[in-house]
Amino acid sequence: MKKNKIDAASGLTRRDCLKQGSGSFALASMRALAPLVFAGCSELIPISNATPVRVGILHSQTGQMAMSENPLRDIELMAIEEINAAGGILGAQIDPVVEDGASRATTVFPKRAKKLLSESKVAVVFGCLTSAARKAVLPVFEESNGLLFYPASYEGNESSRNIIYTGSTPNQQILPAIDWLLSEAGGSRRRIFLIGSDDVHQRIENIIVKKYLQDKSVLVVGETYVPLSQKDTGIAQDIRKTSPDAVLSTVTGDSNLSLYNEWAAADVTAEQVPVVAINVGEDELRRMRSNNAKGHFSARSYFQCLNTDANKKFIDRFQQEHGYDRITDESIEAAYSSVYLWKAAVEKAGSFNVDKVREALASGVKFEGPGGELRIDPKTQHAYKRFYIGRVGKNRQFEMVFQSADTIAPDPYPQSVFPGWSCDWTNGGVKKGAEVKIDL
Amino acid sequence: MFDYNQIYRIYDIPSWKLALAISGGFVLFYWVGCLFIRPFLRLFVRSRTGTNDVVGYVLSCFCVFYGLLLGLIAVAAYQNFGEVDKNVSREAVALRALYQDANAYPHPVDQDLCWLLRDYTLYVIKYAWPLQKKGIIPDGGRVRVTAFHERLLAFEPQTRGQEILQAETLRQFNVFFEARRMRLHSVTTGIPAVMWYVVLIGALINIAIVWMFEMRFLTHLLLGGMLVFFLGAMIFLIAAMDNPLRGEVSVSSEAFELVYKSMLEESNLELED
Repeated sequence: MKKNKIDAASGLTRRDCLKQGSGSFALASMRALAPLVFAGCSELIPISNATPVRVGILHSQTGQMAMSENPLRDIELMAIEEINAAGGILGAQIDPVVEDGASRATTVFPKRAKKLLSESKVAVVFGCLTSAARKAVLPVFEESNGLLFYPASYEGNESSRNIIYTGSTPNQQILPAIDWLLSEAGGSRRRIFLIGSDDVHQRIENIIVKKYLQDKSVLVVGETYVPLSQKDTGIAQDIRKTSPDAVLSTVTGDSNLSLYNEWAAADVTAEQVPVVAINVGEDELRRMRSNNAKGHFSARSYFQCLNTDANKKFIDRFQQEHGYDRITDESIEAAYSSVYLWKAAVEKAGSFNVDKVREALASGVKFEGPGGELRIDPKTQHAYKRFYIGRVGKNRQFEMVFQSADTIAPDPYPQSVFPGWSCDWTNGGVKKGAEVKIDL
Repeated sequence: MFDYNQIYRIYDIPSWKLALAISGGFVLFYWVGCLFIRPFLRLFVRSRTGTNDVVGYVLSCFCVFYGLLLGLIAVAAYQNFGEVDKNVSREAVALRALYQDANAYPHPVDQDLCWLLRDYTLYVIKYAWPLQKKGIIPDGGRVRVTAFHERLLAFEPQTRGQEILQAETLRQFNVFFEARRMRLHSVTTGIPAVMWYVVLIGALINIAIVWMFEMRFLTHLLLGGMLVFFLGAMIFLIAAMDNPLRGEVSVSSEAFELVYKSMLEESNLELED
């Protein structure tokens, strides 16, 4: 029996035909199946027009400051997530690199800042809350020409080319608070007692306040400082003896709790002698179980009760994500808006380069945030801020009683306290004046 | 230089496509081998009577060992998967119990502790899980756990009841912490590379033996194709279940999602109170 018939025309055996046919079939099958089989492989590499851009987040996630700084990290991550969901910046997704300052301002913060800038090569850092941490990382940013967005209100007397200050300076918060106290709406107060936490920040603020009050025929009836970690202030009776008609408080943290408790225990009502606090926000109120702060005032650049669509949307989003009992405050709002302001600047600059972004920020880019418009003064690199007075109401929230007609320009060097000092980054930077000695 | 970690990219492919790719790849390899390799292998065995009996005997001997190996590996992978799944549930349950304990603290410590635990849970769902799927041990949970632990230790009990609560919460924290460490350890758990080499070499030998069979070409394609398809399916099964926190067939974050949902609902109720 002949196994292989030979095709006379081609000279091929049946086996050859079978082999070639099988080969062709296999190749055709591979070609047909390839798109199906390897379709999943496209998911291996994220399709993006550009490589992700790294941004740093530097807050104390552990240690004493963790409870205050963790919400800032959360809100910055939320803003980044929103931006990424909307397509990123210049076609690039944002890759956040989060570092822990561990509440050690002088030791850990500078190291982490250095790591973010030199190892992670971040385009920008959103970070710090305390002045001590900011001052500690400042040389690192200046040395590496990095860019830091700092979201907290602070005492002023500083301006760096490498820091964008999105919190308030004293002329945007404490001085308008005094103006309000002296006005008819604030009760035309003329005898003011100054109380603060025993820290550089508060001492500088009170120096500014005293200089400011010198020309306004207002009597500072007393001034005292509470050690930072002290929970019981024990000074309500001392304050009462001086018969003030208002108390201006720059006390921070848990000391506020005992201050209001002692004030109430001394039988002084908010109507008789109101306390106008600079450092009491929604977070401080939530820590107070009692109603002893009710009726007293707080001066801030943002309140959660702000009745705007942007703010409602912001709070809804934050609470849906983190819990309905979570609160926002001025630093949280500033941190959130900072991320978007940087985004706007990068888009205007068309680049992530620090110098170009800084130029874009100076050119007047703005972001309509939950607390209103955020834009940067090109001379000082500080934000224009709105000013609000809130009265402590029910549910440990504020009721708005006053708001500035417009945003207030920042002034980190009030001439009454820092004569000769000025700052203009469009023309030479910081001009030093006479040395100011601050007696601590 | 071949980067061994590249092999893990198979976990980024949807399961059905991966199954098709592995099984189909085996069949394709076998068919191509039938065309180009089989003729050479047949030189050793062809035209001798009883060849198929010898090849069949060798194949069955080989398959006993190889089948045993594959079977044991598949069982080990499945058991490992189950262990990790159980441990993830254990961590989520411990977390929820810890949240319950945290709620019993006096104000504002209760709120601080609950916020920190919610923060941790959200991190695990949103950031840790995607990193685990890539085989990266997430680090962000450590600082969140430390923040919680610090806040817990900062509380000074004032009453006997608070002392008991503190002791119980710390005990619960340790249970949670242990489960968390186990989960992190599981991120890189998997069948050792050397075992995979043995599996793949075994598969090659298996195919090579089948090529040696003397039968009609089409029968070869069909019968051999079926055999290697199943071989590919077995290897896919092991690969899919190996590394229990990676790929589509992996332990999901559902346990944490359920816990987080209940935490959020509770926060809403507290606000209404």
